Amino acid sequence: MSQINRLMKRGLVDRDKSISFRFDGQRLEGHPGDTLASALLANGIRLVGRSFKYHRPRGVLTAGSEEPNALVELRTGAHREPNTRATTIELYEGLDAASQNRWPSLKYDLLSVNQLVSPIFGAGFYYKTFMWPASFWEKLYEPTIRRAAGLGYPSKQPDPDTYEKANAFCDVIVIGAGAAGLSAALSAARAGARVILCDEDFVLGGRLLAERGEIDGKPTQEWAAAAAAELESFPDCRILRRTTVFGVYDGGVYAAVERVGDHLRKPAPYTPRQRLWRIVAKQSVVCAGAFERPIVFGDNDRPGVMLASAVRTYVNRFGVTPGRAVVVFADNDAALSTAKDLSDSGVEVRAIVDPRPDASPTAGQAATAIGAEYVSGIVDSVSGAHGIKSVRIKDTQGRMTLFNCDLLAVSGGWNPAINLTTHLGGKPVWDEARSCLVPGALAPGMRVAGAAAGRFSLDACLASGETAGGESARDCGFSPAAPSRSAPAQDDERVTPVWHVQSRGGKAFVDLQNDVTVSDVKLAAREGFRVPDHLKRYTTLGMATDQGKTSNLNGAALLAEVTGRYLGSVGSTTFRPPYTPVAIGALAGHHRGKEFRPKRLPPSHRWAEENGAEFVEVGAWMRALMFPKSGETAQETVDREVANTRNNVGVCDVSTLGKIDVQGPDAGTLLDRVYINGFSKLPVGKARYGLMLREDGFAMDDGTTARLADDHFYMTTTTANAVRVSQHLEFCQQVLWPELDVQTVSQTEQWAQYAVAGPQSRKVIEALLDSGQDISNEAFPYMACGTFTVCGGTPARLFRLSFSGELAYEIGVPARFGDALIRAIMDDGAEHGIGPYGTEALGVMRIEKGHAAGPELNGQTTAHDLGLGRMMSRKKDFIGRFMGEREALNEASRATLIGLKPLDPKMRVSAGAHLVPRHAKADAANDQGYVTSQAYSPELESFIGLAMLSDGPARYGEVVRVCDPLRNYETLAEVCSPHFVDPEGERLRV
Amino acid sequence: MSDLQSVSALDGMLVSGRHGSPDGDAGVTLTERADLGLATLEVRRWQGAALDESVRTSYGVGLPSAPTCVEGKDVRFIGVAPGQWFAVSEALPNEMLADDLASKLRGKASVADHSSGRAVVRLEGSAVRSVLSKGLAIDLDPRVFVDGAAAVTSIGHMGVLIWRDTEAFDLAVFRSFAGSFCAWIEDASAEFGLDVVTRS
Amino acid sequence: MRITCPYCGARGLEEFTYRGDATVTRPSSIDARATEAWVDYVYLRDNPAGLHKEFWQHSAGCRAWLEVARDTTTHEIVAVELAAKER
Repeated sequence: MSQINRLMKRGLVDRDKSISFRFDGQRLEGHPGDTLASALLANGIRLVGRSFKYHRPRGVLTAGSEEPNALVELRTGAHREPNTRATTIELYEGLDAASQNRWPSLKYDLLSVNQLVSPIFGAGFYYKTFMWPASFWEKLYEPTIRRAAGLGYPSKQPDPDTYEKANAFCDVIVIGAGAAGLSAALSAARAGARVILCDEDFVLGGRLLAERGEIDGKPTQEWAAAAAAELESFPDCRILRRTTVFGVYDGGVYAAVERVGDHLRKPAPYTPRQRLWRIVAKQSVVCAGAFERPIVFGDNDRPGVMLASAVRTYVNRFGVTPGRAVVVFADNDAALSTAKDLSDSGVEVRAIVDPRPDASPTAGQAATAIGAEYVSGIVDSVSGAHGIKSVRIKDTQGRMTLFNCDLLAVSGGWNPAINLTTHLGGKPVWDEARSCLVPGALAPGMRVAGAAAGRFSLDACLASGETAGGESARDCGFSPAAPSRSAPAQDDERVTPVWHVQSRGGKAFVDLQNDVTVSDVKLAAREGFRVPDHLKRYTTLGMATDQGKTSNLNGAALLAEVTGRYLGSVGSTTFRPPYTPVAIGALAGHHRGKEFRPKRLPPSHRWAEENGAEFVEVGAWMRALMFPKSGETAQETVDREVANTRNNVGVCDVSTLGKIDVQGPDAGTLLDRVYINGFSKLPVGKARYGLMLREDGFAMDDGTTARLADDHFYMTTTTANAVRVSQHLEFCQQVLWPELDVQTVSQTEQWAQYAVAGPQSRKVIEALLDSGQDISNEAFPYMACGTFTVCGGTPARLFRLSFSGELAYEIGVPARFGDALIRAIMDDGAEHGIGPYGTEALGVMRIEKGHAAGPELNGQTTAHDLGLGRMMSRKKDFIGRFMGEREALNEASRATLIGLKPLDPKMRVSAGAHLVPRHAKADAANDQGYVTSQAYSPELESFIGLAMLSDGPARYGEVVRVCDPLRNYETLAEVCSPHFVDPEGERLRV
Repeated sequence: MSDLQSVSALDGMLVSGRHGSPDGDAGVTLTERADLGLATLEVRRWQGAALDESVRTSYGVGLPSAPTCVEGKDVRFIGVAPGQWFAVSEALPNEMLADDLASKLRGKASVADHSSGRAVVRLEGSAVRSVLSKGLAIDLDPRVFVDGAAAVTSIGHMGVLIWRDTEAFDLAVFRSFAGSFCAWIEDASAEFGLDVVTRS
Repeated sequence: MRITCPYCGARGLEEFTYRGDATVTRPSSIDARATEAWVDYVYLRDNPAGLHKEFWQHSAGCRAWLEVARDTTTHEIVAVELAAKER
């Protein structure tokens, strides 16, 4: 098939070049400058898809992003994208598109039997029909409905394209590059403002490309090109074509998506498919234009029924006629230009049908001038399921006339594209004279010009755009030239809207995309859904990819009529971002796959990789989980690492712990106030464990803080809470106690810190130390800290701390030496049998020692619950003291930290399990606590657990049931002290 | 001299040479500024004037009260927060800068060493602003972010201190994020081409 | 939303951490009679429709805690001050 509907002249397509593409496997040709829709129409293809619910044949209704019908699956394989609008897809060589929602073929769709049972598919059908049994929903109803109704199918493969984000700043953002937008951008740019002009189309001009008027003596298409060229010449004007501004946010923030590579077969090398822009603008001018609205009549969804303005777009911009014999059905004189443009292109216009109560002399003359019949009447019915063949017109006297035609151009007037003006809550207002909703209160810095403001005439668009652009520049401190154009005072004809007509035809569709009919709206109104937002949710009118751009107001008008109300008081649905659908990939940008979020690598990471570590994400950190040897099970690895640390010596990277420098004369006082125990009297050269509470008395974080000098402490926090503790300290310093002379700064990144633990650890550290430094038990006892040099003069901080319960040290060096230090530790430790251990072994050893960690510091535990109640100082105020002393937070009956030993050592004490008395029923009433941590203890040769148990410490020796109904697991365990290994701490002090 | 080998933050994170688009001159050049002295100083209570005086005496320049850079003798001071400055030095490399500042400003400021805690990279080239705008949500227009301007902000969800030195931008990112930062910059600069310069 | 940090200038919302009501004051007394004041401080918050004073931290910037006067109905930010008044 050749391009039978391509006109010989007109349009912005390059007829000298051909582009070949495929639709439903059929090979077709178009020209550069075409959209998929214009190319399909050029090839005489009217049937492009099947509808959502009834599988009705559908064609192209519009020529823009408001298209409800012509949705196709674009591209193939992993690149396949469903529900793309044929009207906005720029044609490229090799484009491959397929129609949706049909089986086995577009022409013979078996599921169109849905039409025959359509009475049961009315409004609220799902709610009413599939009430019970509830279990049928998931297994039967939903899958069946989904198969029968729906739009296109995603590829279900990972998206192979790349996306990115970018930020931009400007004085004035102009949204839309039609007559108003180009004028606005020109006046702002000429005044010297930094301007960003965004347009969703690939050619600037908007309706200027689709109409045949003149501006300043130039055809509109030429004027648009000249305006674009002038804008390009301003270094401070950025033009973003193929860019949809889809959201408006507080503070002058605009979100836009630029389709960088969608018009290409694949994006150019090294460029993304799409780019998400966040644009911060001091002022904005919304020039988003308007949507033509249909008139609703029976069978108004047949292929060949098209909006009158879209017909002009295809004729004037693309040089394509969507039909060869045409009837125009319009309630306004503006649509008469459709008839004229067609006729001038040699297309036969058979009739102009005018549903207004008073016949229009202008329309009558226009008809006569082109040899068409003028009928004051309505479309009564349409014939031709896969494309109209004729329309039957009923005049005001009730006489019927049949017109053979293949195109019915319809216009019910225009609706300003107010969507962006309502994203921040602005309510549109009803303009009675123009019969449409116009923007109401606007966001700060926002102006609306042209058709989006209800100023539809060309002169009004140019003038209001120029004024808005100039005023925006002025508000940014520039001096724009005085406006050169003035808007006509009464620029538009008064509109007599006709929303729908009573016709004999079949279903009359209000919302084509969701198959919502006039009778659905009436039914909903009868059932009490009288507000547009309720109507939307009950009938789905205005949902899905087009968000009702061509249906909302017709729906509201119908609702007003049925409920006997004034349309201006019915209101509209609320528009929210996005204006048109946005790919999730664009929102993710760079951050997907292994770059889902930035990762933090500790200083030993490369060494750990070389040594076969398995890693675990702890917040953003990648920590070594364990260092398996070949042939080992995970349990064997952990057991070996624990045993080696307890028997010889192990090393673990603890650089991820939060490290905070606390300096100043009042450093000790600040610590006294954030920890439950005292720090100001801690001697220099000593470290102490501390617990922090929230102000409500519950535990927040714990860690060790060392005193390096009188006015210098070094705090550590848990890895997970490092950021939170920093913020907490800063709040204390800046807000609660600004009178304290204390400064804090994070040092987490500066220090590489390793725990060296085990009976042989002193020998390993001694080997690292430069000569003449004594770390014997007497010189450097448990909880000592100090500054040393290692390995030939490298400054190091040494702490005699132990999380594992063994003789242990933490040694820190500037992170640039971290990689070398772990290698040196391993070298020096080799003769003592050193082995690395990961977080899993670390966890086992801390559970064996009964040290609380994340699972116990879970936001529900107090110092008392953690067995640390006696640490709470009575001599000072500290965060959480007053609330923490409340009686109820200190009652013995509270769930308190204990250990659990299963009666059968081979049975796990699963974390998360609940504890109930041995002979009680396992129900909520008998719930007495829960397991927080569990591990296998190589030392005890038994599984063990930490748990919070009501009145726990008084119940050592009692056997309780450990019930885990989620995992369908249960065992018996004996309550014991949480200190399983070396309860007296003798190993620490040797 | 330490027996331990110092490893720069970007060591092994980016391969030296051309990345991304191979066409024409690279739009961006990245150079690691390794072994810089880096430190923060935070004024002690009521010591603002005294600190400023000491800095003038020792480094020949007053401290800025806004997020901008001043270039003193051997040390560049960058305002990063009220009463807090980030100091950068080539002449006093690595830990030496913090030691020097601590000894000269004793009692007037709390000094902390960050020479190991940050990766500092220099980005320059015709496309540098376009690349940075993909991750930085600040206005880099040369009339807004003027020579010597500085900002503490985020780049690709990673904390960053950025300052402008004539037509080059220096970025200090946290050391542990160096790998993710490199992955980000490689992606962001791909369309313009990236030249990575590492010290031999 | 954007907040103009008095030190860093206008930045996007994602650089800030919200804490809440900036009109409450931590009680100075820790004796038993202060219970009501503490309960008010820790738990009770007004939820005004209109102008509100809130603590925000410029956590991804200068780390200053800010007192932000914000209209909760329009999101308009009327004033921003450093919470620490002296340095």
